[in-house]
This record gives sequence, structure tokens and C-alpha cells, in this order.
Amino acid sequence: MAAMEGVAMQDQSQQQQQQQLVPPQPVAVERLNQAVVQQLNLEAVKTRAISLFKAISRILEDFDAYARTNTTPKWQDILGQYSMVNLELFNIVDEIRKVSKAFVVHPKNVNAENATILPVMLSSKLLPEMEIDDNSKREQLLLGMQNLPIPSQIEKLKSRIDMIGAACESAEKVLADTRKAYCFGTRQGPQILPTLDKGQALKIQEQENLLRAAVNSGEGLRLPGDQRQMTPALPMHLVDLLPVGDGVHTFSDASGMYMKNTPPLSSNSIGNQGNLLQASGAQLIGRSAASPSAATSATSFDNTTASPVPYANSPRSGTNMMNTPSPQQQQQQQQQQQQQQQQQRQKMMQLPHQQQLLAQQQFRQSQMQGLGQLHGQHQMQFSQPMGHQQFQGRQMASGHVQHGIGQSQLGQGNQLNRHLSQFSGAANSALFNAAQGTSNSQMIPNMSATVSSQSLLPRMQFGLAGNNPQRSHASQMLSDQMFNMGASNPGSMIQQQQQQQQQHNTQGAFGNMQPNAQNLQSNMVALQNAQQNHPNFAQQRQQNQQ
Amino acid sequence: MECVVQGIIETQHVEALEILLQGICGVHRDRLRVHEICLKNNPNLGNVASEVRLLCDLEQPEPTWTVKHLGGAMRGAGAEQISVLVRSMVESKVSKNALRLFNALGYKLDHELLRVGFAFHFQRGAQITVTVSSVNKMLKLHATDEAVPVTPGIQLVEVTAPASSENYTEVASAVSSFCEYLAPLLHLSKPGVSTGVVPTAAAAAVSLMSDGGGTTLFSPHTTRIKTAGLAWSI
Repeated sequence: MAAMEGVAMQDQSQQQQQQQLVPPQPVAVERLNQAVVQQLNLEAVKTRAISLFKAISRILEDFDAYARTNTTPKWQDILGQYSMVNLELFNIVDEIRKVSKAFVVHPKNVNAENATILPVMLSSKLLPEMEIDDNSKREQLLLGMQNLPIPSQIEKLKSRIDMIGAACESAEKVLADTRKAYCFGTRQGPQILPTLDKGQALKIQEQENLLRAAVNSGEGLRLPGDQRQMTPALPMHLVDLLPVGDGVHTFSDASGMYMKNTPPLSSNSIGNQGNLLQASGAQLIGRSAASPSAATSATSFDNTTASPVPYANSPRSGTNMMNTPSPQQQQQQQQQQQQQQQQQRQKMMQLPHQQQLLAQQQFRQSQMQGLGQLHGQHQMQFSQPMGHQQFQGRQMASGHVQHGIGQSQLGQGNQLNRHLSQFSGAANSALFNAAQGTSNSQMIPNMSATVSSQSLLPRMQFGLAGNNPQRSHASQMLSDQMFNMGASNPGSMIQQQQQQQQQHNTQGAFGNMQPNAQNLQSNMVALQNAQQNHPNFAQQRQQNQQ
Repeated sequence: MECVVQGIIETQHVEALEILLQGICGVHRDRLRVHEICLKNNPNLGNVASEVRLLCDLEQPEPTWTVKHLGGAMRGAGAEQISVLVRSMVESKVSKNALRLFNALGYKLDHELLRVGFAFHFQRGAQITVTVSSVNKMLKLHATDEAVPVTPGIQLVEVTAPASSENYTEVASAVSSFCEYLAPLLHLSKPGVSTGVVPTAAAAAVSLMSDGGGTTLFSPHTTRIKTAGLAWSI
């Protein structure tokens, strides 16, 4: 039936061809065979094709929207839609395939366009590559079998297929068994599987606890103090961060110790006194390296050479003007210092930096002054925060020669320059020279280069304010002294030093200060007071009380 | 704030875990080598000792420093119901002077450790970071080149995700649903809660490490057919 219909169709097509050769003639309406038409059901196919087209375009729009809004598409839905579309297309094609025999291939006639391509389209021969492929596969398959007669070849191929099938089955079985054995997909532990034996489980538990404790709280990672030796070969990322070795008097420490100042603190806090070397100590402690500070702290203050502290601004100083400070006062100083050293570590973190620096400076100054006075030589020194652990001991030891004082002063001078901007270069060098000149003094405690000049400046003001009768404590008197000294700008200091070295004449010094007296007049006075020798005390005192 | 869970895995299964993570996360792993320095300051005058961590990333060509502060964990009935730990965390990049700064501020070295391993960073409901690392300790101060593992046979797996107080529940659920994927190999729990190893870990590792991904199973000339005991010769 189909063949006959095919013939009928071909007749019709031939007719059509003939008719096409005569274009102007009215085209005869062709009608397909009714049966074919029914089977083909063109209307239905058209509807289905159109609906399929709509579905696909809808999906494409969805994709577009996904792309534009950058959201993650729900792949589940998309796959479902795709499968629907796929199925629909398959059905349509299937339907048409059933009736495709009734139709001839298009193009119906040969003309210039399709003359070249028609032979390719019509040929049933494989493309060369496909042909080679086909041949090679056939060779592989029939390896060693080409000689045998055909039926035996067939037999052999059949047996091969059977073997492959058997292999597949056994592999599937193995997969299923393994899946069951390991319970993939279920959460419970399998009973068949040998669980970890108790011993191993315990060991693992132990290890786990160790690890978790180490990570979360650092258990087991803390080196005891004696083992906390800094390895000489620091890793690259730490090499320039940590001071290498102990007891190295490096200026890198100084730069590390440079602390930015914030608004000045009250200078009258007695608590300051107890916090010496806080800043430097912090660094020490922070390193937790074997620090020789313990050793250095053992050096005791040399009582014999302690100098009287010039309490020029204190009520007491009035009575003691002409005398060396009573042993009591000295004792107090020393005890205080020792106590402070001992308490240092404990109180290390108590105060903010400024206070610590303040305390340091106060103490330094006091030491310095006392010692300087004793020998009649003044080193007008800026009190500086001690950045180095060695200084801890040295401040007490009067017999130590200062090492870095010149540099420290110079450094301090430089820093002050930034802040005070009154300090000339000449003054700087003068200061340095002055320091150098007096370096043979054994009274001046060692100072490192660390300076906190910013903090000094505000202390200046406070130094003045601090000249109040709260002089019950010896150290406080010292601090006042220190303030006075710290308050001055380096220029005045230099001049004073020079003066003193040259003349030991306070009057002259006072006169020299006038150019620098920018609101520092009283400071100058105080400075002078601080530095004056005893004979001048009376004068200073009067001046101070202006 | 951050949501964090921790777990352990035996070192022999780490490679399998890496394969699994690569498949789930879809990103490549980043190597991890972090020197973690934990600083503590002495409590004084009744203050609570505070702890700060300095992390130095040694994997970069130029070591980069980060300062991190871990705060207290969220407490309460709600916190107990969440399967992850939610704690406050503040992190910032710093210059290399951070160590000196903290030393100057009075922070002493409490302990230090070196983490060596790898990490995956990806987005899955939240920005999640998974790190698998062996935790090493240093016998000598700061000797990172001579670090030895605290537990040689076990490595630590940590899953963290930053969160804020508004969205921590979503982040927590994202993290816990991610952890479900890792169930065959390891169990994750809040830090401090021990989990033990997972019994299916060995089998899961084997299956992840096997060659099943790349090669086809039944090509005519593979050895798999041969090992099934069938001869191929005719």
C-alpha cells in the first residue's frame, strides 16, 4: 500500500515537474493520497511543532533571564523541561518517519544550485574517514577469523558477546555487594565492617584531644621559660622584627620604643614612681627571651656616691639647702629605686605609656641630678625612657660610664627638633658636644637612645604646675626636679650646660636663656634651680617662688 | 563574628578529603602555611587577660601579617541548638611591626604554632573557608623551619565562615549543610567537642582515591575484564 501510494505520489510529482516547466499555467492542485493524509495528520503535526517551538523559545527566554540576573538556575527544573521538549520532538519525528516513505526527497528537480550537492546527498557510500574507521573496527573484530567460514565466524562473535555480557553482570554484582557492605547512603555505621578496635580508638581519641587543645587553647605548645631561647637563626619573616641576641644595645630598639604621645597625664601621680622602664620592660617581657634583666637588676644602687637631690622647689629643700641631703632621703631614693625595680615587672602594664615614660624620666632625672650634684658637675640631661634592659641596672650603678648618652642626647635633640622647632642644628651639635664633654663623668647613668620627646613637651607644662607643696615624698621632689629639667628645650639646656661647664655660674646661665624664653621663663628658672650648686640655692629659691 | 566547626581526619585520608573538597567546592586549593603567634597580656588590677593572635602567612612571596582577636562564643539555649560555634572575631591586616607593637603594649608570647596544609575558599550560602592542616609546634622559639607536628597522624579540619549578628543563623545553616557533604570522611563539631574518627572514612577514602573517575570501565581491551577472570583469547 505504501509502495503503491509512493508510485502514485511519484506520478504526481512528475506531473508537477512537468507543470513547473510551464510556469504560467495554473497549478493543478495536488492532493495527497487520502490515507497518507490521514496518517500524516498534518494539522496535528503542525500544532505539535508550533507548541514545541513555543516551549523551546520559552526555555531560551528563561535562560536569558538567568544570564541577565546572574542567578543560579534550578537545574532540576531545567532538566525536566529539556526532557519534555526532547520527548516531544522525538514523538513528532517518529510520526513523520512513518509516512516519510510516501514522499520523495527534496529537491525535486536538478538545477544549477543543487547539481553539485545532489550526488553527495544521494550516495550511500560512507565518507572516507568513516570508511577507514569502519574497516579498522571490522578488522579488530574479526581478528584471526577471516579465514574461517562465515558461520563459524558468527559463532565466535556470539560467544564473545556472551562473555562480555557475563563480565558485565559479575561487575554489577560486585558493585552492589560493595555498596551494601559499606552502607553508602545510610548514616548508621555498618555492623559488618570491622570497627576500630578499642585500643586504636583510644589512641586516636587521645591524639584528638591533644590536637584540639593545642589549637584552641595552646596546651602543650608553651615552652617553659628556660627553653625560651631565641633561636639564632630566625625565620625570614621574623628576622628583622625581633632583636637578635640579648644585651645588644641597638637603636632599632629605640625606634621600636618610640611611642607616640597622647595628651599629657598628670604628673603628680605617685604611682608613676613605681613604674620604671615600663616601656622597655614591655619589650623585654614581650620577647620572653632569656633576658639579662634579672641579672642587671641585681646591681644595686651605690649608696656611697649618691648625691643629694637638689630639692630646690620643695619646702624641704629650704632646710637642707646647705647640707647634703640627709641619708634618709638618700636611703629613700635607693630603697625606692630598688623596690621599683622589683615591682617593675608586676606593674609593667599598669600604666599607659605616657605615664611610664613620665615615671622613667622622672626617675632618670632624679638620679642624674643627685649624682651630678654630688660631684659638682651637671649634666643637664633630658630624661629619656630607657629602652634597654641594661639600663635597669645601670641606673643604679653610679660607677658605670655612660655609653650612649651623647648619642641619646643627639637623638633626642633631633626628635625635639621635630616637635619644638626651635632647636637649631647648632644647638644640636652643641648639645652633643656638651654631652661628650661630660662623658667622663661617672655619675651619669647610662641612657639609651629612646626618646619620647613629644611626651616631654607636655610635661614641661606640668612641671611648672607641679611645683606645689606636695613634697612629702622624696621621689616626688625628684620628679619635680625632673620636670623642670625636662621642660626646658634643648637650647636652653645646652646653654646651661655650657655655662655650667665653663663657669658654674647660674646667673650667666640665666642670662643666656633669655633668647629662648618663649613661655619658658619660669622653666628656665626652675632649671637653673635644679642645676644650681648649693651656694645658689637661696637665689634660685627666690626666683622659683616668683 | 564567625561560625566555626572543627574536625579531625587521619593523615592518610587527607588526600581523599582534598579530592572530595575539590569536587564540592569547585575551586582549586590554596596552599596554607601560617605561623600563628598567640600573645597574651598579663591581667593586672583585675582586668581579664586578653589574647590576640598574629598570623603570618608564609606562603606569599612577601609574608603578610594579620591580627586576629577571638572573642567569647555565643551562649544560651539558642546557641546550643545551633550545631556550629558562633563567636566574635575581629581580623585585620597589619604591617610586620605588629609583633613589636604588641610587645610594646605588654603582650607576651603565650604560644605559637605553625599550620601547614591547604585551604578552600568558596561561596555556598555564605563565604566558607575550609582549611585542612597539620598543626606543628616549635621546639625552639620561633623556629618555624624545625616545627614538628603536635599529632603526626591526625590533621585538623576547620570550617569557618564570617557572619554578622543579623545573618548568623543563615550562615550557620549553610556551614552545617556543607558539613553534611563531608560526612563520609569526617565529623565536624564545635571546637572543644571531640568527635573521634568516622568508621566509614577508610572506605570513603578508598573510593575517592580510586581511578573510577577517569577511565571507562568496559572498553574491550581494558584489564578490568581480564581481572574478572575471563580470558580474551579466542
